[in-house]
Amino acid sequence: MKQDQSNPLIPRQAILENKFPETSDTCSVKIALTDNDGFSFKPGQFNMLGIPGFGETPVSFSSLMLDKNSFMHTIRSVGNVTDAICKLNIGEQLNLRGPFGNGWPTEKVTNKNILLIAGGIGIAPLRPVIHLLLKNHLNYRKLFLLYGARTDRDMLFKNEIKEWTESKNISVLLSVDEKSTENLIDARVGLITSLLDELKVPWQESIAFICGPEIMMRFVSRYLIIHGMNSKDVFVSMERMMKCGIAACGHCQIGAKFVCKDGPVFAYPDIKRFADTLL
Amino acid sequence: MKNKYTLRYESFYKWIGDLINQFTVIGPVLKKRRQTVFEKLDNLERFHLDYCSTMLAPRKYIYRSRQKLMDFDRENNSISSAEVEKISQIIIGIHPCDMQAITVLDRTFLGDYTDAYYSALRDGSITIVLNCNNACNKGFCASMNTGPFLRLHEGYDMEITRFTDRLLIEAKTDRSVHLIEKASGLKEVREADLTEKSEIATKATASFTKSIDTRNLPELLLRNIGHPVYKDTADSRCLGCTNCTMVCPTCFCYNFEETTSFDLKKTERNRYWDSCQELHFAQVHGGNFRSSREARLRQFVTHKLGTWIEQYGCFGCVGCGRCMTWCPTGIDLTEMAIQIQEDYKLGKIK
Repeated sequence: MKQDQSNPLIPRQAILENKFPETSDTCSVKIALTDNDGFSFKPGQFNMLGIPGFGETPVSFSSLMLDKNSFMHTIRSVGNVTDAICKLNIGEQLNLRGPFGNGWPTEKVTNKNILLIAGGIGIAPLRPVIHLLLKNHLNYRKLFLLYGARTDRDMLFKNEIKEWTESKNISVLLSVDEKSTENLIDARVGLITSLLDELKVPWQESIAFICGPEIMMRFVSRYLIIHGMNSKDVFVSMERMMKCGIAACGHCQIGAKFVCKDGPVFAYPDIKRFADTLL
Repeated sequence: MKNKYTLRYESFYKWIGDLINQFTVIGPVLKKRRQTVFEKLDNLERFHLDYCSTMLAPRKYIYRSRQKLMDFDRENNSISSAEVEKISQIIIGIHPCDMQAITVLDRTFLGDYTDAYYSALRDGSITIVLNCNNACNKGFCASMNTGPFLRLHEGYDMEITRFTDRLLIEAKTDRSVHLIEKASGLKEVREADLTEKSEIATKATASFTKSIDTRNLPELLLRNIGHPVYKDTADSRCLGCTNCTMVCPTCFCYNFEETTSFDLKKTERNRYWDSCQELHFAQVHGGNFRSSREARLRQFVTHKLGTWIEQYGCFGCVGCGRCMTWCPTGIDLTEMAIQIQEDYKLGKIK
């Protein structure tokens, strides 16, 4: 069934085409629209995924458009809806509204070093950025991925990260709070800010896309700005309770900003000035 | 002067009586304990123009407190969206502040995305504004530039002003011209009538005792989000009851609710008015961004008197005074703002 285009509150239907476990509590799902009437999106945007009777939850795209009408979401099972989605079987249906939000400002990367800085599941919305940048060289200088997780066991996209580590086109720096006994991936033990100390980039000519827990984004943003990055080149992706996705239900407001419409990606100074953030 | 008339009271009430017989008319009705409520009028018996303020603003007739959005058929996996109400109603006796509030809501629901349900009710409602000849006790609309006489230039249908022996009727839209033309005893307006109106308006504006200076207020509030007035007020008096946001005529927040039938065959999705004063409002997995009453109270005050300007180009407060009237402990957002302004004047804060 088609989405009622005139009414963004009515979902369209989609099918869970495939499912990939990432960690003990996180899975990636490949979702296919039953029709594709001009559905397109930018990395950093999100969908409201819903299961009738459970509700809806905002989840960002963790891939670019695949095939003609499918894409991926990476979901950590932490609540009713995310749990229900992770428990869906291949071929089952779910509802979807979107895409919503502004996405990462990939148009701003020209002539800059790009720092993609992710904490935990924050790697998910940055993954399509990496795919995009590796596919189309947008005249940027160098591309870095800094990724921190609790343990190597909690790292997402392990195989892909190993591939990126070997690639000449992207430099990957990894950190974990502690190593697991399996030692699944080679990462240094420490906070993500310790990876920044290793970076030898001219900060003024760099741009950062950051996604992770708000407290991590606080310290990373402040580090970058203190070291000379233009604060307007520091972009953070915010998480808030969202219900509507269209700047009407009010839940996601941070000061004058609706995270669902004006965000979720904000230039750091643009969002830091308001109350009730950890930035 | 086009579409402006005067009408004697007996002709006016006869006109309203005729409208009630032909259309759905919603207006102020006097209830027990001298409380006035916006209700569908069946007759003129308790129709009460001389009211101060209602508990709920007429917004409830344009933005439903509960709205069904869709049915989901679990057996066939199909969605059917709830039909958009086709409604035709007249809302009469809307005070200028409440009319302004409806145009404030328009910016949320008829902005970048059109809310089909709101839009149908808004378009299907003929709005007739009644100017206030006196200040109400908690109102400060004159300070917010929303009253006591209508300050809008569009977004409403008709404006009514009460004189001692007659009323001045100014029809703004074609559909309201059609309505007033049904009245008998209409007299073309004279220059003197309009002079009388502005005299009453000046007198009404001068009758306010409550006021707030809104100059530079949004910037001041934003610079001082950590001001102790929020914590002091919240900790000592805020009960977190959400009354302020339920009675506020500009509050737009909503939440969704899904209910599944006992046989698990159908799930229904509704939306209902929500409140930023609820503990759950900013709750996400792993934390709550406004877990303290202080933070929630600050959200209310700084949104209405501050950040709303950046979002919509107008204040979110129309000065109707409902939040403080219906707050069980009488928390007054203007008092908080004024305290911050005074600290600024004394040089205590920047």
